[in-house]
Amino acid sequence: MNKISLIIKKELFRVFSDRKLIFSLYILPVLIMFAIYGIMGKMIGSMEKDITEHTAIVTVVDATEELKSAIDFSGFSGNANINYIDSAAYETDKDTIVDNIKHGKADLCVIVPKNFDEQVEDYVNGGSTLPNLEVSFNDSENYSSQAYSMFTNSVLGTYKNLLLGKRYGDVRMLEAMSVTTVILTKDEQSNSQFMKMLLPYMVVLMLFAGVMSVGVDAIAGEKERGTLSSMLISPVKRSEIAIGKIVSMAILSSISAAVTTVSMLGAFIFMGSSGGFAAMSGGVSFSPLQIIELLLIMLSLVILYVGLIALIAVYSPNTKAASSIISPLYPLIIIMGMLTMFRTGKETPTIHYAVPVYGNALAISDICSNELSLLNFFISFACTLIIGIVITVLVTKAFNDEKLMFNA
Amino acid sequence: MIEINGLTKIYKLSAKKKKELKTNKDVKTAVSDLSLTAKPGEITGLLGPNGAGKTTTMRCVATLLSPTKGDIKVCGYDTVKDAQKVRDSICFLTNEIKLDEHFTVDYLFTFFGRLKNLDEKTIEARKKELFDTFNMNDFKDKKIEELSTGMKQKASIVVNLVNDPEVVIFDEPTSGLDIVTARVVLDYLKKLRAEGKTVIISTHIMPEAEKLCDKVAMIIGGRKVIEGTIPEVLEKTQTGDLEDAFFKLFMENKESEKEEE
Repeated sequence: MNKISLIIKKELFRVFSDRKLIFSLYILPVLIMFAIYGIMGKMIGSMEKDITEHTAIVTVVDATEELKSAIDFSGFSGNANINYIDSAAYETDKDTIVDNIKHGKADLCVIVPKNFDEQVEDYVNGGSTLPNLEVSFNDSENYSSQAYSMFTNSVLGTYKNLLLGKRYGDVRMLEAMSVTTVILTKDEQSNSQFMKMLLPYMVVLMLFAGVMSVGVDAIAGEKERGTLSSMLISPVKRSEIAIGKIVSMAILSSISAAVTTVSMLGAFIFMGSSGGFAAMSGGVSFSPLQIIELLLIMLSLVILYVGLIALIAVYSPNTKAASSIISPLYPLIIIMGMLTMFRTGKETPTIHYAVPVYGNALAISDICSNELSLLNFFISFACTLIIGIVITVLVTKAFNDEKLMFNA
Repeated sequence: MIEINGLTKIYKLSAKKKKELKTNKDVKTAVSDLSLTAKPGEITGLLGPNGAGKTTTMRCVATLLSPTKGDIKVCGYDTVKDAQKVRDSICFLTNEIKLDEHFTVDYLFTFFGRLKNLDEKTIEARKKELFDTFNMNDFKDKKIEELSTGMKQKASIVVNLVNDPEVVIFDEPTSGLDIVTARVVLDYLKKLRAEGKTVIISTHIMPEAEKLCDKVAMIIGGRKVIEGTIPEVLEKTQTGDLEDAFFKLFMENKESEKEEE
């Protein structure tokens, strides 16, 4: 045990005394997360703000007094530069107006037919013809889309209600029924859908990335550089060297995964505070039992990953060979993590929880929604742990193989 | 004491290795039926051309490889059955085994001292003695990567000698060293001999062997072709110096080497 702890300390010191390694393992991922998601959040927020604050450039042709009142009453005119013109002026400038909307220089054009007042009068008096307005906008331009949305919702909504009121006296006459909506969410299900979707994916992927970055060099790299041999000729059991390496890999990769996951969540919260993501990142809470379950699932996953990477590294003559074998595993892990994102309400069979990685992602997903049964948790934890331990035993045996260790 | 009894080491060749060696054979005999004894208070030299089997023999003595046939005893312990006890009493120095470049000489010295079951007091005493002998005091806090090739070699020697081993196995001791460092290393090997340690070295530099070794064994094509003190070898081969003796034996055994290849 003493020798194992000596090797673990050395391996940890190796990383924590190397500024470049600390930067690439623990600081760079945080910076990247905050840079990507933080900038994205800020940009989305400022884009939304910009669109909302934009003064829409609107042309209204042959506007009736009633429509003008509706535009003023709805508040639309407060954030729009409205140019009221008659049909003669429109005919002259039609091409320019259309062209301006197409090129984002103007946002909206509303054409009121000449007989609109008559159409309205006829409708109000019970006529069968609906008054018609022509509204042109550019759906590929955010400003134009926003102006269209605001105009139809606020101006026309207000105007329609006015006309309906005139025709039927009371608008509520048109309602067939009223609906009282009550949202019932179990307290335990309060963890957001966002977390349920993203956390399993993040955990299975980030743990793997963490193990991969430290594991290949710790074994294949040391073999390649000839530094592993200096320990192999020391009076230490090969199994102690293997366990020392594996445990230190597990510690380093767990820290790496934790740092990356926390920074990702932090970035999302940061993003949420600045834009429309607050709802996504809010409402996250775990009970002590859930935290223990989550940590145990992560522990079993770390043991599996470390064993797997160590086994590949020990069988590879150098880091290049090890990396080329590990690379195809990466998309596989991504797929396993993503599969849990698209689950329906249908109950997942218990046997699925026995599949390493996928089963763990399912369990983490269930923890987020408080739907993880004790049996499913145990199956997921135990199966991954057993496979991880079997692989770890194979790694310790491989350390005694002269062909693998010395390319003999 | 090192006792090698009928050591044979056969490697299975992978398809890649076969291509590299340009052979169709499935196996390569690196060492064939080699017996040798290296005694305490003596420097024994393994002489031979590149690929003769010197390093394989040393690796087997150092427990890194297991003999295919035969056995090796170091200080009375079998290199396969009691590998850990053997490793406790040896120091194996070779260019292939390197120190992690990220650490300082001082850190590695302490680390390997602890790994070799030494207490802190002994480690500090050994540190002072070896750092003084090899003039490492000014470099002890430098990372290995910051040292010159010669200094790296010295650092490797110092770190590996931390446990004051009974047996020192040294593959090409002056390879890559400048003349000053080479002299320091050779003088230290003589000091170890004077202290009664068993020293076994491999070299293809005959004048070096002549100056240093009490006994030599020449290996050609994996077979020991002669063993004895230098005067005995010269007498048996009827030559004036070790280089002539080597070339005479090499020409006589060239055919067998080809066959082994």
